[in-house]
Amino acid sequence: MVNPVLLIAVPLGLAFSLPIFGLISKRLEKYLPVIAMLFNLSLSVYLVPRVLTHPIIVYIGGWAPPFGIDLFVGPVGIFFSVIIALVGLLVSIYAMDYIKEGDTGKYHVLFLLLLTGAQGVVLTGDIFNLFVFYEILCISSYALVGYLRDRDGLESAIKYLVQGSIGTGLVLTGIAFIYGLYGTLNMADIARQINSIKPAANFITLALIITGLGVEAAIFPMNAWLPDAHSSAPSSISAILSGIAIEIGVYAIARVIFTIFGATDILSFVALVGIITLLVGEMSALKQNNIKRMLAYSSTGQIGLIVFAFAIATSYGIEAGLFQILNHSLSKALLFLAAGYMIYRTGSMEISSFEGMGKRMPLTSLGFTIGAFSLIGLPPFAGFASKFLIVKAALTKGGGLYTCLIALALVATVIEGAYFFRVVQVLYFRGSNENVTRQEAPVVALVPFFVLAVLIIAIGIYPGPVMHVLNSATSEFVHRIAYIQGVLR
Amino acid sequence: MRKIIALIFLAILLWGITKPVSRIPFGTNKIKVAEHYITKDITETGAANVVTSVVVLYRGFDTLGEVTILFIAAIGLASILYLPRKKVSDEVLEESSLILRTGCRFLFPLILLFGAYIFVHGHLTPGGGFQGGAIIASGFALIFLSCRERVVSTVKLGVVESLAGMTFVAVGLIGLATGGYFLLSFLPKGTLNMLFSAGIIPVIYVAIGFKVGSELAGIIGNLMERTQ
Repeated sequence: MVNPVLLIAVPLGLAFSLPIFGLISKRLEKYLPVIAMLFNLSLSVYLVPRVLTHPIIVYIGGWAPPFGIDLFVGPVGIFFSVIIALVGLLVSIYAMDYIKEGDTGKYHVLFLLLLTGAQGVVLTGDIFNLFVFYEILCISSYALVGYLRDRDGLESAIKYLVQGSIGTGLVLTGIAFIYGLYGTLNMADIARQINSIKPAANFITLALIITGLGVEAAIFPMNAWLPDAHSSAPSSISAILSGIAIEIGVYAIARVIFTIFGATDILSFVALVGIITLLVGEMSALKQNNIKRMLAYSSTGQIGLIVFAFAIATSYGIEAGLFQILNHSLSKALLFLAAGYMIYRTGSMEISSFEGMGKRMPLTSLGFTIGAFSLIGLPPFAGFASKFLIVKAALTKGGGLYTCLIALALVATVIEGAYFFRVVQVLYFRGSNENVTRQEAPVVALVPFFVLAVLIIAIGIYPGPVMHVLNSATSEFVHRIAYIQGVLR
Repeated sequence: MRKIIALIFLAILLWGITKPVSRIPFGTNKIKVAEHYITKDITETGAANVVTSVVVLYRGFDTLGEVTILFIAAIGLASILYLPRKKVSDEVLEESSLILRTGCRFLFPLILLFGAYIFVHGHLTPGGGFQGGAIIASGFALIFLSCRERVVSTVKLGVVESLAGMTFVAVGLIGLATGGYFLLSFLPKGTLNMLFSAGIIPVIYVAIGFKVGSELAGIIGNLMERTQ
């Protein structure tokens, strides 16, 4: 059997060796992320059926937990690794042509390490190890946000750096308390010893950790960095930050709440925060004239919706949340990638400057439209299925609170529809249709658009196989005892 | 007003933090994992320095991650400070004083030797790759200060950095290939307190020493570059 640790070791080794390949030939550099992600994607897909029957637990260095570090490759981990590898692969194909300025070798190293960090976070079974990979993810994204070295980019990178560092500082404090109180860092071993968050010591530790992780996940009110960072980064990086990085934050929060602390008491508060994040994000997005800022605020909103879905905490709710993560990753990556070339062609980020794009870049515009429709939740795209599941989960859960909140979520969806339809209208129905020359995006960019669009439609029409994986992933979150017993045999 | 609100928030945070801190059983042997490390370390790893065996063996994966974080910091800094075409500055550099120059030239080899000693003996005495690397980088900092006309090639530093990182991953992969575990200590434990003992610790610490040394030196070098 192939060891899942290769999902981390291979990209890491390639990232270290990339500068040397760069010395041999500058042109080799941009292929390495593609190779690494291709490897990861095939290995993750290969592992899916095995993991679904039984989670794989990998001991690093042969030390059994809690004394060493273990990887818990369960359905959740493999679900996220497929998403990371898939979106990572498509974005790295896109970046082969898109990234031309600056020190491109360094871009590719940082990009690859960002994905490695994300990969590590979702696979590890040790909370300090999670922190280390989280830092890899965060620090490389700080550097990549400032990659273009323009004024906006550097300013938002510094903002992101300051807020992110405070967040990771809080997480580290929380982890230190956990180690002090329970004397172990292994997630299953901690979970075994924590039965309730009633003691103040446990509650405060939990609060510190989820507040810190909430910064990266951009949950209101810790989302101030996101619109700046996502809008001034290169579009390929915006796609990764929106499509992967913030979801990893949500994953980490879910893991801490469900698996480590089993903290079901705070979930109605989390649901409320989720809906506030959703409303704030969508209403801010509605006001934007800058396409990338609009997409960035929309990411905040989507994260709010995902957090709300997780906070429902029934198996329907978690399943819907995971499905929404998948939908958001694919759609938002597609939207940012498509917007990237439209900005490149027009030289402006103003939505009004995209008039007539439907004629000028028909395929790119089509990609953008599919992404937008899927995010709004129109059938037959993937977003319809995931939003439908969220509504269903909230209504099955019942209770006045969740019914009110889901009503608010639907209002937010209407707002979302309003601003996305506005953009689609500009693309196709505004401006003169004469004298437009076709200036389509290059083929290496069209390939990711095509794959993402096909996946969005395919998952929307035929969600069966995805639901199969999501079912197992949900039970990993719901059955805390099974997780503990799986690791500490 | 804002200050008062901030102070109130800080007070709440402080009060909150005292709660878990007061529950931590300082000074008792309650911590099972740590006790295992202290009592079983020498038989399990063959390293005289317990801290090192925790850092490199029991939690070697974290260390790999930490090395990566430093690598990202160095690369990220270089990408942000990147200059499209390096201009050869024709301005006259101010010479450093005779005392500084002589002192640095005298100290530089000794500092390198000391740094190398620290990381080679990581498994025997306090210290290790990170500390040794930092000492080596401080030697380069002295050279940057004193011999200002000298340029340390960032390309060469980058190659050392990459090779060292690849060594770490390769050691891990060899462990995976021979014993089935990534970062397995596949080398013999040897005799306690000897230079060649404690399995893969010396190999990894030498790699980390080179890596950290070249990274920190590279960071200083990047910050020294002038823009016109």
